[in-house]
Amino acid sequence: MNKLTLVLAIMLSGSLAFSAQARDQRDYHEMVYDSGCKTCHDQGIKNMPSDQACSQCHDIDELAVTTARQGDEEWQNPHNNLHYGKEVPCTECHGEHTPKQVLCSNCHTFEYPKHK
Amino acid sequence: MVDKSGRRSFIKGLGAAGITALAMPVMAQTNTESAANIKWDKTADVVIIGSGFAALAASIKAKQLGATDVEIFEKMPYFGGNSAINGGLFAAPNTPLQAKEGVKDSIDTMVADQLKSGRGIADEPLLRHIASHAAEALQMTIDAGAEYHPYLQQLGGHSVARTYQTTVSCGAGITQPLLKYSQKLGVKTNNRAKFIGFVQDDNGKVIGVKLLTGHHFEDPNSGKVTYVKANKGVLMATGGFAQNIKLRMAQDPTLTNEVGCTNIPGTTGEAMLEMFRLGATPVHLAHIQSGPWASPDEGGFGYVSNYSIFNFPHSIAVNLQTGRRFMNEIADRKTRADAELRCRDEAGKPQPPIMITSYEDAMEHPTCKKVLKYKVGWKFDSIADIAKHYGIPAAELQKQVDEYNQYVRTGEDKQFGKAMAMAHGKELRAPFTVVRLWPKVHYCQGGVQINTNAEVVDSLTGQPIPGLYAAGEVAGGIHGVSRLGSCSIPECLVMGMTAANTLMNA
Repeated sequence: MNKLTLVLAIMLSGSLAFSAQARDQRDYHEMVYDSGCKTCHDQGIKNMPSDQACSQCHDIDELAVTTARQGDEEWQNPHNNLHYGKEVPCTECHGEHTPKQVLCSNCHTFEYPKHK
Repeated sequence: MVDKSGRRSFIKGLGAAGITALAMPVMAQTNTESAANIKWDKTADVVIIGSGFAALAASIKAKQLGATDVEIFEKMPYFGGNSAINGGLFAAPNTPLQAKEGVKDSIDTMVADQLKSGRGIADEPLLRHIASHAAEALQMTIDAGAEYHPYLQQLGGHSVARTYQTTVSCGAGITQPLLKYSQKLGVKTNNRAKFIGFVQDDNGKVIGVKLLTGHHFEDPNSGKVTYVKANKGVLMATGGFAQNIKLRMAQDPTLTNEVGCTNIPGTTGEAMLEMFRLGATPVHLAHIQSGPWASPDEGGFGYVSNYSIFNFPHSIAVNLQTGRRFMNEIADRKTRADAELRCRDEAGKPQPPIMITSYEDAMEHPTCKKVLKYKVGWKFDSIADIAKHYGIPAAELQKQVDEYNQYVRTGEDKQFGKAMAMAHGKELRAPFTVVRLWPKVHYCQGGVQINTNAEVVDSLTGQPIPGLYAAGEVAGGIHGVSRLGSCSIPECLVMGMTAANTLMNA
């Protein structure tokens, strides 16, 4: 039983490593990949990272300043928006391994040319 | 909704005793469990499912009434539910703005308007209860930091101007301050926490809930099974089911996946279904409302909805085939949505009608700039240009505009009997703005039956189900066939506050 578990674990980790490599990676996150998957996958490799994972490195208040918009676009700041303020979890708009649409595109035609 | 993963781990955890319990027929069909073998992960005074207007109002009121632990559980990753993405329109009688604008109104008048639109099947005691406390709820939002435009609007089906709107023209102008205020009072707000079932004691009282925490909406069964005990009661404030296409088509087969929807993806109604399994009385599920102010040129509620709501009183809606008006632009929502759906070409294909507004009047509301900027509405210099662009018979359209302007001058709409008071002095004149209209599924009038204490009524006994409360869109039957615009926000807030009152005094 133990042996079987071990074999399964090895197979599983092998396939996961492979699938992670096969997926999109962002160059600027290279350092994070070097530190291992668990750096972001803080709830186990099979699970989505927690909503706090990104905030190990990124600060929502700083992001809100970086993406601030002026005048009648004030509330289209993706990091401090009209509907949810600063409380939208990062992964609602950003996908590390697969591209994502911004949440606003459900209803609006706003353009965020720098969105990744 | 059966949660297989949760069930399996539950069985593992309990061993033989759990399996025996699950073998009981009632257990197999519902997600409701008896309290006997539950190991509680958390305990609170008040457990609230959902995080929209009703939930937030209830959480604040419960705290003000002395609740120690109030917990909000929201299945989506973000708080506010559908309340965060609507027009932020709030109807109330006898308000400070009505006094300022000299509008004569009363609780009776507001209830009478709603009963008319409800077409004989609305719940008068509930409407009266809500209208009686609407001004109080409005003040509660202002105290929490909500801000409103300094003028009233007259929405379709309302006999007078009684509608406030947040300065951001969105329900988020209420949910954001309420959420912050709620958190400041010590309410614990949990996202990614999906309700999947109730826990009952031996007497059938609801004493807790079963959740999936760490839930990701994209994966319906994801998350860890978590049991939360509710000392005083459970409030279900989970919204409607407009995004559940199978369920809405079971009620109304015309609402296919080709019909747009203004709601967040999470309005799928499974919490309501679980209440039915527990014994709640289903009311008016087939009455699902489409918003006649929506646009086929953007997703969801977008910008055009608010734009149209503001401009309908001093605009005309025109059928492209005929160049003529086809409805009273401020009739109730159902009347208008039905009229729009009849606008089709010779082959029967939908041909969204247009709304024509004087640019100068449209610019009185901030959404006009947005509509033009994001290209979901367009500016034209003349009626001839509009006719040419949309292929409308030009002479007919010009004749229609001239006729309508006559109604504006005389104050009497001879075509459709529209109330012309708000159009006074606003003849259609160049330049114009135009948007296209097509209804989108917006609101479920149906849901579980509640009484004026926000208690959920059992379908067999007609008595309240002990420990269970519901407020907001998930509660059914209040508005009858067609809810009037801006009457949901007061309903959600008042019934949320009412639920907290009942629950804290139970």
